[in-house]
Amino acid sequence: MILLHRLVRLLVVLLVVTFLSYALLGLLPGDPTTQILGLSATEEARAQLRQELGLDQPLLVRYADWLGGLVTGDFGTSYINQVPVAQELAERLPVTLELLVAAQIVALGLAVPVGVAAARRAGGTLDQVLTAMSFALLSTPVFVLGVLLILVFAVTWQVLPATGWTPISVDLGWNITSVLLPAITLGAGQLAVYARLLRTDLIATLQEDYITLARARGLSPRRILWRHALRPSTISLITAVGLNLGALIGGTVIIETLFGLPGIGRLIVDSIFSRDYLTVQGGVVLISVGYVLVNFVVDLVYAAVDPRIRHA
Amino acid sequence: MKRWRRLAALSLASVVLVACSGQRPVAVSEKSSDPTTPVVGGKLVYGLSADAAGFNPVTDQFAAQSYSMATTIIEPLVSVDVNGDWKPYLAESLTPNKKSDEWTITVRSGISFSDGTPLTGEVVKANLEAQKASPLNNAVLAPVSSFELVDPKTVKVKLKQPWVAFPYYLAAQIGMIVPPSSLKDPRGASQKPVGTGPFTFQEYVPDSRFVVAKNANYWRKGLPYLTQIEFRILPDSQTRAQTLEAGQLDAMGTSRDEDITKFGALKDAFTVQRSQGMAVAEYMFMLNTAVKPFDDIRVRRALAHAMDRKAVISTLRGGLTKEADGPWSKDSKWYAEGGGYPEYDLAKATALVKEVEAEKGPIKFEIISTPDPNTMQGIELAQDMWRKAGIEVTIKQADQADLINRAVTGNFAATVWTQFSSPDPDGEYIWMHKGYAGPVGSIALNFTRLKDDKLSQAFDVGRTSPDEATRKQAYATVQQRLRELVPYVFVDHLDTGAVIAKTTVHGIGEHVLPDGEKGLPMTGSPIPYHPFSGVWITQQ
Repeated sequence: MILLHRLVRLLVVLLVVTFLSYALLGLLPGDPTTQILGLSATEEARAQLRQELGLDQPLLVRYADWLGGLVTGDFGTSYINQVPVAQELAERLPVTLELLVAAQIVALGLAVPVGVAAARRAGGTLDQVLTAMSFALLSTPVFVLGVLLILVFAVTWQVLPATGWTPISVDLGWNITSVLLPAITLGAGQLAVYARLLRTDLIATLQEDYITLARARGLSPRRILWRHALRPSTISLITAVGLNLGALIGGTVIIETLFGLPGIGRLIVDSIFSRDYLTVQGGVVLISVGYVLVNFVVDLVYAAVDPRIRHA
Repeated sequence: MKRWRRLAALSLASVVLVACSGQRPVAVSEKSSDPTTPVVGGKLVYGLSADAAGFNPVTDQFAAQSYSMATTIIEPLVSVDVNGDWKPYLAESLTPNKKSDEWTITVRSGISFSDGTPLTGEVVKANLEAQKASPLNNAVLAPVSSFELVDPKTVKVKLKQPWVAFPYYLAAQIGMIVPPSSLKDPRGASQKPVGTGPFTFQEYVPDSRFVVAKNANYWRKGLPYLTQIEFRILPDSQTRAQTLEAGQLDAMGTSRDEDITKFGALKDAFTVQRSQGMAVAEYMFMLNTAVKPFDDIRVRRALAHAMDRKAVISTLRGGLTKEADGPWSKDSKWYAEGGGYPEYDLAKATALVKEVEAEKGPIKFEIISTPDPNTMQGIELAQDMWRKAGIEVTIKQADQADLINRAVTGNFAATVWTQFSSPDPDGEYIWMHKGYAGPVGSIALNFTRLKDDKLSQAFDVGRTSPDEATRKQAYATVQQRLRELVPYVFVDHLDTGAVIAKTTVHGIGEHVLPDGEKGLPMTGSPIPYHPFSGVWITQQ
């Protein structure tokens, strides 16, 4: 029942989002003919191409055509390079997915120990230092951080590649090195947010009666912290992980450009500039589905973390 | 439990360390004791600023980066030598008739495409016919009436009018020859190009890399020297430069003056080759002479008088470029004085503005700019200069597609513009001739909509006269009229387009054409491109 409910919601979200993006793209001045034919094409050539691509049809007709294709699994063909959109997305998706997962691993992997350490002695020197570092990371634009990391790790120490991408299928080692700097850059801002959230929730949990009881029973502070306080303090963190997906996808556009990664973010931005409507639409569908799915998984994780939600 | 944690940590650390340990293995070239003797072998990793929109010269619009990659595989019928004159490349000869309204192209013998298909007159004819039918080029090839196969090696091009500069067009996309299989499968050719060139296609990952390998059967014996070239698409200029600095690129293209200054100072480690002559594009403000206020020549001249080009160059280009007063730079054989381009003179600008204002009221206009910071900086500088002369300018941001669309349809008053890098002045014919200027709202290639008889007649003479002195005179008239009428407020010659390479990379911009002449070192804008057949590398 929940699944059906979610599926209906997903369909509604998809319809609304894809129609809005189609309409907004339609409002943009210009069309792909200049990009495809160049400056020196004649008016007749442009008109003919517009007709071939169906761009002379009203917006609603074009949207209905595209939607009809989507139902049968046909995302259409890119106006610019004549490659099926599904193929383009399939080639780019692994890069962006790996980058997103790696960024979350970096962010969560560091945020949990940092948040716990800060909450353990709230107001202490370590907490203040970690708080200051979190704010510094939050206020540093990703492109500045990216350039700085490249300067240190690639130019000065020469231990990581500055730019470029090696797929896992080609070489696992080089794949890890090529994703490290982009993932750290993308995950750094999230790390600061997650650490702050966890610290605040953990401090609140540590004031709860059951924690006082656990202390009275003589449990060690470490056991209380990791076993009894951490899990109930992660609800906000889990919510943030789900909601931040949108911000992370936005961030991949900059990261992919900065580090020369062939991902979805770059594809969508390039396609917007070249008015490659169908490729943009394909990307929008993919991101919408991904966003809804991730937040569905987040709901399931809530239930696993907090039995009260499971039994509600 | 602790042991497991330690083991996991150790394994992770080992993976990271192994992954981080040193440079990626690449094919290495032989060591050379003589720095002037080319060595065979090695892989070149070359950074480009953008990807190509496909590699099929018949169906895909080529930008400078497209030429960098595609010309390693697909070769043109004609090339341009160091003096700026056209020379046969895949063609053995190109001969005009007396009136230059017929050109006979004879193809070299013994050349085959990498798929084994021989290069023949019939293949050349099929390519040229496909180009003529392509919507990309049918405006440019409008003077062509037909292509005829004279014999298996010879194609005759019949023109509707004399066209002395026709061979120059065969040095670019129009003259790049692909095998019949590519003409039959244009989509395939767009992703996996095939040609007669020194390299063959190996791998293409869009927005990431384009890899080519040595063509062992290349028709020019002894070439190429490199075993492999990997072009890396790195759109961010800052990180592209850092990648070169980190040693992960051997060479890169750039148009940033800070790169030229920085790497130029490191003479032991890097070489900097800048584009020059006709290959250099001009940075300017393009004015629509068909709309207010630029239908009044006094306003156009006021803008030029108020433009302090030296200030722009010192502010935006670190003082590296030279002031422009027309579409061709002083180091080009086509440059001519005359016409009196409005020099920087704020008093004259203000006087002209006041004169116009007394008749028509305040002068206001909107200028379109792409939103990138470098372009905006230039526009804001100009806005300030024009404001000092009493002209109110508002800036409207538009993305590249919108800006071009507005330019083509005449839906603009002024915009920032970069153009004019054709090897021959005739290359600018369709952009300035009155025959290509249409009313606002219609698509026209003469974006300024300037309809000047003298300028157009001069372009016609330049196109049809075989006598170089007559052509020079004609293009002197073109420059004179542009300076008098000011459809463009010229700022500088953008010769900050450069290729920066490690000192271990040799032969960039030093290629030799098939008949022994020195080739034009580099061409294209804003980042130039060059052939790769004569490039070689040594170990450090």
